[in-house]
Amino acid sequence: MEVEKLISMCTHCGFCLETCPTFSVTRNEVHSPRGRIEAIRSKIESYGLQTCMFCRLCETACPAGVKYGQIVLPFRKRNVKQSLFLRSLESPRATYLLLKGSQKISLKEAQRFKEFTKGLKVERQIEGEDDEPEIVLFPGCLEGVLFRETVEKALNFLRKRYKVKIINGCCGLAHFSAGNIEKAKELASRLGTIKKPIVTLQSNCAAHMKEYKELFGLEVEVFDFAEFLIRKGVDLPRKEGKVTIHYPCNAYRKGLTKYVVEVIKKMGINVREMEDPQFECGSGGDYWITHPEMSDKVREIKKTKIEKSGVNTVISTNSVCSLSILRSGFKPLHVADLL
Amino acid sequence: MSTFKLRVKINDVSLEREVTRIVGEEWVITGQERELFSYPAFLPLKVTPPLVVLPGSEEEVIEIVKLFKSKRTKYLIRGAGTSLSGSTTPTQGEVVISLNRLNKVFYTQGLEITVGPGIANLHIGKFIDSDVFYAPDPSSYVVSSIGGNISHDSGGMHTPKYGTTFNSVVSLRVLLPDGSVEDLNGRNLDPLPLFVGSEGTLGIILRATLRLFPKPGISRTLLAAFDNVEDAGKAVVEIYKVGVTPASLEFMDKPSIIAVENTQYKANYPEAEAILLIELDGNSIQVEEEMRRSKLAISKCNGRFYEPTSEEEKTRWWIGRKGAFPSFAYYSPSYLTLDANVPRSSLPKILEFTYAIGRKYSLPVANCFHAGDGTLHPLIGFNSEDRENTINAIKAAEEITYYALTLGGVPSGEHGIGIEKLKFMPVYYSSEDIEVMRRIKESFDPEFILNPCKLIPPKEKECIAVGEIHKHLMEVD
Ligand SMILES: Cc1cc2nc3c(=O)[nH]c(=O)nc-3n(C[C@H](O)[C@H](O)[C@H](O)COP(=O)(O)OP(=O)(O)OC[C@H]3O[C@@H](n4cnc5c(N)ncnc54)[C@H](O)[C@@H]3O)c2cc1C
Ligand code: SF4
Ligand code: SF4
Repeated sequence: MEVEKLISMCTHCGFCLETCPTFSVTRNEVHSPRGRIEAIRSKIESYGLQTCMFCRLCETACPAGVKYGQIVLPFRKRNVKQSLFLRSLESPRATYLLLKGSQKISLKEAQRFKEFTKGLKVERQIEGEDDEPEIVLFPGCLEGVLFRETVEKALNFLRKRYKVKIINGCCGLAHFSAGNIEKAKELASRLGTIKKPIVTLQSNCAAHMKEYKELFGLEVEVFDFAEFLIRKGVDLPRKEGKVTIHYPCNAYRKGLTKYVVEVIKKMGINVREMEDPQFECGSGGDYWITHPEMSDKVREIKKTKIEKSGVNTVISTNSVCSLSILRSGFKPLHVADLL
Repeated sequence: MSTFKLRVKINDVSLEREVTRIVGEEWVITGQERELFSYPAFLPLKVTPPLVVLPGSEEEVIEIVKLFKSKRTKYLIRGAGTSLSGSTTPTQGEVVISLNRLNKVFYTQGLEITVGPGIANLHIGKFIDSDVFYAPDPSSYVVSSIGGNISHDSGGMHTPKYGTTFNSVVSLRVLLPDGSVEDLNGRNLDPLPLFVGSEGTLGIILRATLRLFPKPGISRTLLAAFDNVEDAGKAVVEIYKVGVTPASLEFMDKPSIIAVENTQYKANYPEAEAILLIELDGNSIQVEEEMRRSKLAISKCNGRFYEPTSEEEKTRWWIGRKGAFPSFAYYSPSYLTLDANVPRSSLPKILEFTYAIGRKYSLPVANCFHAGDGTLHPLIGFNSEDRENTINAIKAAEEITYYALTLGGVPSGEHGIGIEKLKFMPVYYSSEDIEVMRRIKESFDPEFILNPCKLIPPKEKECIAVGEIHKHLMEVD
């Protein structure tokens, strides 16, 4: 559908405002979904278009089913810094080298990276495959480098039941969110050839890959890790403990976070719900690097919401969310870490 | 009263400079982005304000108001911008003061909470004990602000039992156009009640203390399905006749049901031409008895009743009703929402009339509303890009409102007069009534600088008509 038609669906009701992280921190229409759509509708330059985190939580609140993402995407401007970071995600080796390198360079962006990854080891991704693999494990671009142990745990757990092949790389969500559709499509095409079920450790990647068909006409059978465990009826170990659960934005919109909750509850772990678990963590793909101030403000709100739960351990099934949660002083854990 | 004169220069640089000094550059909008504040959820008219200011504290608001008084600058207050009657459309070149940032919770204890006006209704629940609740629940509660709710005296599904916002306001801190701050509590001749429903024309609400109600022991839902709207209308009256006071009593007609079932709010309602969704709350003995009586009333009016089989189904039914307005986008993304209030006994008549009007103008019409308090909500679809079609929709709306008045109704039960229903004021009120309203306005805002030309019908040449649509809205036929 052309943009004008999509825009005309918006009734200007404002129901999306309070779900929007950037409106929540600024309380300014300019940084709200309704304002951004209006800016496009009336063809004006608005700074608001640059501050969108592209979490698309507004779509979950929109009573009229307005496809915000599709409306705004063509108006998102790329900048050089974004391209550099995003480019590094495109190959597993480059990701490793950039993250490793960032520990040494003094660029502002690299400093921020250092702050957020404090206490984490930058390691090379695990590679390998069983003979005649039945499923593909797709850890996601950052997971394999920053949370290698989680990948190991997931791999070991899955290998007890399936023959597994690991594929490292990027699903293209970050590029898509930044408006780089061509690159997003290219990255999707790489994964689009996989004919086996793909299990990813990134809930937001799972959500994005489930949209490959609508966006690029590519069909992949993809599961978020927790979704896979539930849908395949995999036996889960019993565990003790108390956690609160963060809902990664895209996964929430796609209805995937309910599986994470189900897995945790099935394991017998005590869940203390946080306020608005779907509220943005503050990361927003590479937003935390490109828009540090706004990102920090969003993270502060998220921090308060987590604190109210009274629990320090936060289940987070998306690596950039985990970085934000870590930065706020909590302990992020992936579902796979519990296995 | 003096004749209207446009005093704000669109490019008043010194004004901009002084406002910036008060709130800081980040919170003053001067460029093209002003357009984002050119209209609320009332779609037919957009007017770009000369300036937008987003103060961050009560002190800043006070300073701005004093500045505007000294410069005789026209201004209006905007909350969440969901007004359906155009009460924040800056038709007279008003500066828009957006109060979204004043969203603090100052104090909460027992059955009261004190908040800033910019907090969304939805968020109140996060700051209060789990055994109490804030009753006013306009469908827009997820976003509409407490300042806006008070200024429009908004109602919702809980109105039949708990009243409109008016019944939940304990006290207000208001800032008057002369820059003075008053704490009002409604005792003696204190004018608190005037501020509830005054559509931001008398002063600015800086703080509100709201009443909370203890949560009822239990609450049960009953759905009644009917083969025609007439029976459903009769059942509304019958339910009250048998001595039941429902917490909510909502009506949806077939076009509304179809719209809901085709959107994300899909509720899987039973097949029907009209349904009533009823909530009964209180203690268990009373609710059981009300349940029994309601069922008898429904059967008497040829209705079938259903109880939800699970908590999930119950929630789904109510979410469906909450989504009924926005689901109208299924027929037409732009629509007018009327809110004339009629005596409950006239419901069948007026409903039939709305469908006839829809046919006359070839516009989609659906009805879903708070039947419990007789507030109608005919929705009329139109194409906001097409001026003639827009004016037709407005005319259709007007015919319905006039008819409601002849049935003994009031022009607005919920959404306010704003600019949308100005012409109905002289139909419903006598010229003496209107003169009294003008005098009240004058005593608070003698310069007519705060949200002028809204709510009270203007005298000839007192207000500028911005374009054909606005002219039509202000004209008394
Ligand atoms: C989809 C939809 C559904 C709706 N459902 C309902 C419903 O069920 N019931 C109902 O009653 N209404 C409903 N409304 C109408 C609307 O949401 C209400 O009127 C609401 O109270 C407006 O609040 P707001 O914060 O958006 O105010 P705004 O639209 O920003 O302002 C409304 C008025 O209040 C004044 N105002 C705002 N804040 C202040 C302040 N601090 N001091 C002084 N004046 C102030 C403004 O000047 C203006 O006159 C609905 C609207 C939409 C779009
Ligand atoms: S995508 Fe996220 S940040 Fe952007 S407008 Fe929607 S809710 Fe706000
Ligand atoms: S995007 Fe949807 S929720 Fe937001 S203002 Fe438009 S119609 Fe309303």
